[in-house]
Amino acid sequence: MAFLQLKSLIKSFGPVRVVQEFNLDVARGEFVSLLGPSGCGKTTVLRMVAGFESPTSGQIIIDGADVTGLRPSQRNVGLVFQSYALFPNLTVAGNIAFGLKVARKPSDEIATRVKDMLKLIGLPDLGERYPFELSGGQQQRVALARALAVRPRVLLLDEPLSALDAKIRVSLRDQIRDIQRELGITTIFVTHDQEEALSISDRVVVMNKGRADQIGTPHEIYNKPKTEFVANFVGTLNAFTAVVTHAAKGTIKVNDTAITVPHLREMQLTNGAQVKLGLRPEALHVGKQPAPATNLPATVEDVHFLGSVIRLRVRLGDEVMSIDTFNRSTEKPPVIGGKTTISLNPTDLILIQ
Amino acid sequence: MKQGTFWSWVVFIAGAIYFFLPLIATFEFSMRARRGVYSFDAYRSVLADPQFRDTLSYSVVLALLTIVLGLAIVTPTAFWVRLKLPRLRPYIEFITLLPLVIPPIVIVFGYIRLYNTASYLPLTGSLRGTDFLLMCGYATLSLPYMYRAVDTGLRSIDLVTMTEAAQSLGASWTTIILRLVLPNVLVAILSGAFLTFAIVIGEYVLAALLNRPAFGPYMVWMGGNRAYEPAALAVIAFAITWACMGLIQLLTRFQKHTSKKR
Ligand SMILES: Nc1ncnc2c1ncn2[C@@H]1O[C@H](COP(=O)(O)OP(=O)(O)OP(=O)(O)O)[C@@H](O)[C@H]1O
Ligand SMILES: [Mg+2]
Repeated sequence: MAFLQLKSLIKSFGPVRVVQEFNLDVARGEFVSLLGPSGCGKTTVLRMVAGFESPTSGQIIIDGADVTGLRPSQRNVGLVFQSYALFPNLTVAGNIAFGLKVARKPSDEIATRVKDMLKLIGLPDLGERYPFELSGGQQQRVALARALAVRPRVLLLDEPLSALDAKIRVSLRDQIRDIQRELGITTIFVTHDQEEALSISDRVVVMNKGRADQIGTPHEIYNKPKTEFVANFVGTLNAFTAVVTHAAKGTIKVNDTAITVPHLREMQLTNGAQVKLGLRPEALHVGKQPAPATNLPATVEDVHFLGSVIRLRVRLGDEVMSIDTFNRSTEKPPVIGGKTTISLNPTDLILIQ
Repeated sequence: MKQGTFWSWVVFIAGAIYFFLPLIATFEFSMRARRGVYSFDAYRSVLADPQFRDTLSYSVVLALLTIVLGLAIVTPTAFWVRLKLPRLRPYIEFITLLPLVIPPIVIVFGYIRLYNTASYLPLTGSLRGTDFLLMCGYATLSLPYMYRAVDTGLRSIDLVTMTEAAQSLGASWTTIILRLVLPNVLVAILSGAFLTFAIVIGEYVLAALLNRPAFGPYMVWMGGNRAYEPAALAVIAFAITWACMGLIQLLTRFQKHTSKKR
């Protein structure tokens, strides 16, 4: 049975439903991210787990026990905020010790735990500093240590990296993941950054307007998006419509080009129906490829140099698509306005419901 | 850059002259009680006056009580408004500003009308009752300063998130208020308290109209009846007020964690 269960959570503020029928099972030690655009209800879900909002209906179960009615101070859930929220009147060590002191642990135990936590976050010598004497990244690590010191059953992080600059964001997210693995703590991580979510999570929940649109591993979410929203929100997607010409064979027609897509056969489509298809930029290739690939003539409209990758915008009839190709120092990049052939593998086409 | 420094010095010196010249003149005058030489005779005479000691100690006690009353009203209100009712803040702020607009004389006449010996709550009928009224009046007068001081203290910390962080660590409301909120706003609370103290020590209208033996009316009475002593008294009153201000500064300096990078 899952360690943390959210069952049919609904939350309304007045007449507005901001979380609707939210179901999620998190296994012990699992790292799950809530990913979604601003205002989709991520923080509200997290605050319900922490106990700062009570659900309009639904249940929250931790380790088999229903905690829905418990106050935040009774839940033993660790929280890390975007704004760090360290206690300014206490030193780093005092901050980390706060929860242990509240729990009236013996002082030698507190001292040992504080030392261990400082080592864990890689700041063994900063215990006597005050929060204002630390950088943002250091403050957030102390906040993490403070939350973890009381050995919470669940760790909740609400956009903990959003206030930091890009370099530190990447190194700290790896550090958070390492610490989470080392302690084996069940974790929910809220972010609106898809790269962040995909890179460190066991599973990702993509949220849209208060619902969980899709729950899956990063690989599933990216390669088999279930809804158009997920497909668009996670990564870049070329979307286009096609007409089914031979449902039994899985043949469709795009701009007068017939393509046979094997995995469309099982979809029970009807002849003449319109379907929406998607294709990731990296699934398109510049240049001809042998069958079963499909080759299409195209015109280059725009070239963006992104470093290791060159992103092209090409026109095929009415559609404009993005293509990612690796940058090779020996090859000249395509020129704007040039004619070229692009190819795609039908198995890479994503059917969007 | 150089120019800016020059002009700020000019303004500073002009301000210093404006503030200090009358004070120095008063001080100089207060030393002239003995013909021909400077002496502290006026001070000696003031300090020896039993009325000085009585009125000053009366005002000090009343000031301390006023501070307690003011804090008991203002601190929980400001905390709760910041935490749970932020939408009410403009209204609360407006209410706390009213004592600056409504003259004390209006307040005291209101008190006398409401609580006279013929009323249901005849507070003016007894000395303790009148003292209590006076304390309420003082608390009202100090409300703008007290509320602002405490509210500013609360603003400098992220109260909502800090409270939530503490709650998730298992802390109760009492722990949060005693271990986190109070230490973080202590300096603000104390500066509010000292301002209140300074106001109460010099207040005249309320005490005079309620006919209580406070320091303010005593200073006025002295001014009408003696020559050198009022000047000495003024210098002493200044010294007390300034000592309060100095203490605020000192305390701010002591609390090192409030020196935030912003
Ligand atoms: N206390 C509240 N009262 C009324 N509405 C609220 C309250 N808290 C949140 N909301 C609304 O609920 C919706 C979801 O808010 P929430 O903070 O959960 O979004 P989020 O996904 O965390 O967004 P962000 O990425 O911007 O943090 C928003 O439309 C917000 O305006
Ligand atoms: Mg949020």
